[in-house]
Amino acid sequence: MQPFALNYARPAVEREVTTPYVYDSGLQLNVTVDGRIAASDHALLRELGTTTSTAGSKTHFDD
Amino acid sequence: MTVLILTGEEDVTADMVVVHLNASSVPVVRLDPADLTAGAALSGEYVHGSFRGHLSAGGRLVSVSGLRSVWVRRPGVPAARAAQPSAWLTEEAAQALYGMLRGCAARWMNHPDAAPRARHKPWQLWLAQRSGLPVPATLITTFPQAAREFAERFPDLVVKPVSGAHPQEPPRAVPTSRVAPEADFGAVAYGPTLLQRRVAKRADIRLTVVGDTLLAARKATPADADPDEVDVRFATSGTPWLPAEVPPRVAAAVRTYLREAELAYGAFDFAEDADGTWWFLECNQSGQFGFIEVETGQPIARTIAEWLAHPTPRGREQVNGRRTVAP
Repeated sequence: MQPFALNYARPAVEREVTTPYVYDSGLQLNVTVDGRIAASDHALLRELGTTTSTAGSKTHFDD
Repeated sequence: MTVLILTGEEDVTADMVVVHLNASSVPVVRLDPADLTAGAALSGEYVHGSFRGHLSAGGRLVSVSGLRSVWVRRPGVPAARAAQPSAWLTEEAAQALYGMLRGCAARWMNHPDAAPRARHKPWQLWLAQRSGLPVPATLITTFPQAAREFAERFPDLVVKPVSGAHPQEPPRAVPTSRVAPEADFGAVAYGPTLLQRRVAKRADIRLTVVGDTLLAARKATPADADPDEVDVRFATSGTPWLPAEVPPRVAAAVRTYLREAELAYGAFDFAEDADGTWWFLECNQSGQFGFIEVETGQPIARTIAEWLAHPTPRGREQVNGRRTVAP
């Protein structure tokens, strides 16, 4: 009774990424532990893949 | 005049835009609807024939009439982090927040009436056809026999979710997948199934549109790529995204699409075939753009910031925000 499309499903990969930055409500930006703005560090964003189009999101289907 | 960004704290992609707004000294208030009643607050007064509303988040207070634009980026479920969350409270918070904001004169990216409609993939396919974009032959059906007949006409097919959503119990991903030639379509009866002619692609295209600005990126498909590896989000190819020119006919069609969809932002996915034709796959009304900017250096975040910072047109938005698309 499984829908056809689910024959092609695979386990979702839950990325356990510990982001090396925290949200600063004063700046309204995420900031690294050494005070840099995370969004300005493209090498960091590329490494973490936090801006990447993904599939299997629990909360958003627009990627 | 302030830019209101509805998104979560962890949304570092939104940060990329906030950086540009800060550099332009444009006031920003960032609010996650999930924080309503626990960190975020709202108030609206309808008295003596006029409305006065205020929002508060992160220690900032902004008047609803003082908003120049609203960016609905990755908002959390309203009141999800309230002390006693419930479906009822979520509905109450959603109606209060989005209902109040619908009455303001700000520009929307994207309007909350236009966005849900734009998420429907069947509607996207219809609108893409109507806008003049090439759409691969597609069937959405619960009739197994219709699927079999479609497979006879188009033997090389892919299957993908109609909604773009993925099952969560247990968490699974359903990538766009190539249908095996001997596939048994009996299970089509158990759920609407989207079958589409596979485009033998030589590249994936991500076209990010902000207002009237088009920024295309192209990721070449390696000559030795596995033809069963259809979904670029799951592909192992190391080829980079590179800036690309948008064919004039595609540009015109995409602008028509966004105008008809009443969207100010859209991230289009195309498959480029051997003839160079861009086949429309989908348009994500809130698609990610950070990874493209990081790889290509295209100024997407700056373009969004400029759109959001644009002076507010006076007068009320029309239903579904016709004026949300930049002139």
